[in-house]
Amino acid sequence: MRQILLITDGCSNVGDSPAIAASIAQAEGISVNVVGIVDEGGIGEQGALEIAEIARAGGGMSRIVSPALLSRTVQMMTRQTVQGTIRGEVNRELRQLFGVESAAELPPDKRAEIVRVMEDLGETAELRVALLIDASASMKPKMRAVEEAVRDLALSLQARRGESAVAVFHFPGERSHEACLLDLDWTDRADRIGPIFGRISMKGTTPTGPALLRVVEFFRETCGKLETEPQHTAPARRDDTDGMRSDYVV
Amino acid sequence: MTTSSDARVPAGTVLRGKWNGRSYRLERMLGIGANGQVYMAVSGLRTYALKIGMQLEDLQAEANVLASLDGRERKRPPFLLDVDDAEWQGRLLPFYVMQYVPGVPVKTYLAEHGGAWYGVVGYRLLNRLSELHAAGWVFGDVKSDNILVTDYGRVSLVDYGGMTAMGRSVRQFTEVYDRGYWSAGSRTADPSYDVFSVAVLWIHALDGKRLLHMTKMLLPQNRHPRELMALVRSHAELKKMENWMELALYGKFKDAREASAHWRDRMRAAAEEAVHNSRGKVPGWMAGLFAASLLLCVSAAAFWLLQ
Ligand SMILES: Nc1ncnc2c1ncn2[C@@H]1O[C@H](COP(=O)(O)OP(=O)(O)O)[C@@H](O)[C@H]1O
Ligand SMILES: [Mg+2]
Repeated sequence: MRQILLITDGCSNVGDSPAIAASIAQAEGISVNVVGIVDEGGIGEQGALEIAEIARAGGGMSRIVSPALLSRTVQMMTRQTVQGTIRGEVNRELRQLFGVESAAELPPDKRAEIVRVMEDLGETAELRVALLIDASASMKPKMRAVEEAVRDLALSLQARRGESAVAVFHFPGERSHEACLLDLDWTDRADRIGPIFGRISMKGTTPTGPALLRVVEFFRETCGKLETEPQHTAPARRDDTDGMRSDYVV
Repeated sequence: MTTSSDARVPAGTVLRGKWNGRSYRLERMLGIGANGQVYMAVSGLRTYALKIGMQLEDLQAEANVLASLDGRERKRPPFLLDVDDAEWQGRLLPFYVMQYVPGVPVKTYLAEHGGAWYGVVGYRLLNRLSELHAAGWVFGDVKSDNILVTDYGRVSLVDYGGMTAMGRSVRQFTEVYDRGYWSAGSRTADPSYDVFSVAVLWIHALDGKRLLHMTKMLLPQNRHPRELMALVRSHAELKKMENWMELALYGKFKDAREASAHWRDRMRAAAEEAVHNSRGKVPGWMAGLFAASLLLCVSAAAFWLLQ
């Protein structure tokens, strides 16, 4: 399972529409969640609209929160997106196998069984979350909360049974042709994450769309490679499959 | 038909289960949380607690946990009594029915009955947790609201949304009670995860103001068990359990059973200290009596002399 989590505090102002980029991400099997992070100032109607639209286009969810609630929100969104993805897939299988719309149409004892399977998958499926951080000047006072949220998310992912990793990008990059820069490559070790944003210069532009596209590209480059690496933990057992657990564990 | 239910269902509503056919009249709301709303409900002559879920799968997952626990602990009456859906105003409300627990949250109980009860409540809580651990579960979301106390410090756990099979990632937790938040360990479910939260529970219940103030002021990189220990050492009631708190916050107990045995020993030692300290030092009210009787003697003597 793949997710991009965009953390921003305002509007994009350079490059293609971020909604189009988010839609491309979703077409590649990556869910896009967005958190708008605000101080007292609020985020403005334009910003709020864009945030909601990116999430809708990317098949994810959006929230607008204060820095104090960031860790909790990121954690919750990631978890819910994992569950949502799995529920969607399982319900699709149910439709094909039993012709029912969702687990809600099954009697409680069958439903209990289905939910057990969903829970197992949620815990064991491989999960990669790339965070994309808006590093425009107005974000400066919030970067500490962002770093904390990254570390907190890594801690939660590390506790899962399935292989999990986070990566962190910020945008814009240093030079004008770089939409965003990689700050932290895939890792599953919360305790190895030192200061993340030591050397960023806060610039004025906000190329959200191009940055999202770059992260989609990164998934294509790295995850293909990662899948061929030897796996040290056994993947979810699928020998007892009844068709339910077939092909949707990324 | 949607299956989410964030709107409140008014008291007086009768929900009729679509699959099992039982009806429940909702009497009043008992509580509302992240996963749903809990009502006191009546069916026939009996009173139950009925939880309506925001989300069908989350609710079913909780019911699964309860069913598995009931299956495992057959010596007591089952806690989970019914799982069903009801149609209400064109929506499908998933719900389950459980035993009604006539208690109040730990923090409220101690405020009403006095901090002296925390010893026995803590002992009962640790024993209950070690039963869950023996069954392969970690409760996960230990916090005041999820632990109801009834007569004489008897403890019941409610809200199994955080209950997690040993070795998996804790399903649901509350930041201040989470050992990950305090840089004191992982979020993988193991017995010491719960024991850590129990230690925070006592700090929260007995010294909540200072704890919450601390969480607001501390920078994330400074969150550490030693900060919690500083609170423990500077609070008279908590300090009695200093040694236990330290072992719990630093994850040094092997399991809840060991934590419970140690808790009992500390309780006994604290009681003995109290007795010891009072020996020779006559309690205030007795000293008062003593002075009064002395006065009586003197006046009696004077009376006798003057006769
Ligand atoms: N079996 C029960 N008996 C009495 N009160 C209960 C029972 N279960 C829950 N409650 C009350 O309802 C509140 C919310 O229920 P809970 O299961 O904790 O919901 P959530 O998972 O949404 O937090 C609890 O804090 C408690 O006060
Ligand atoms: Mg609760």
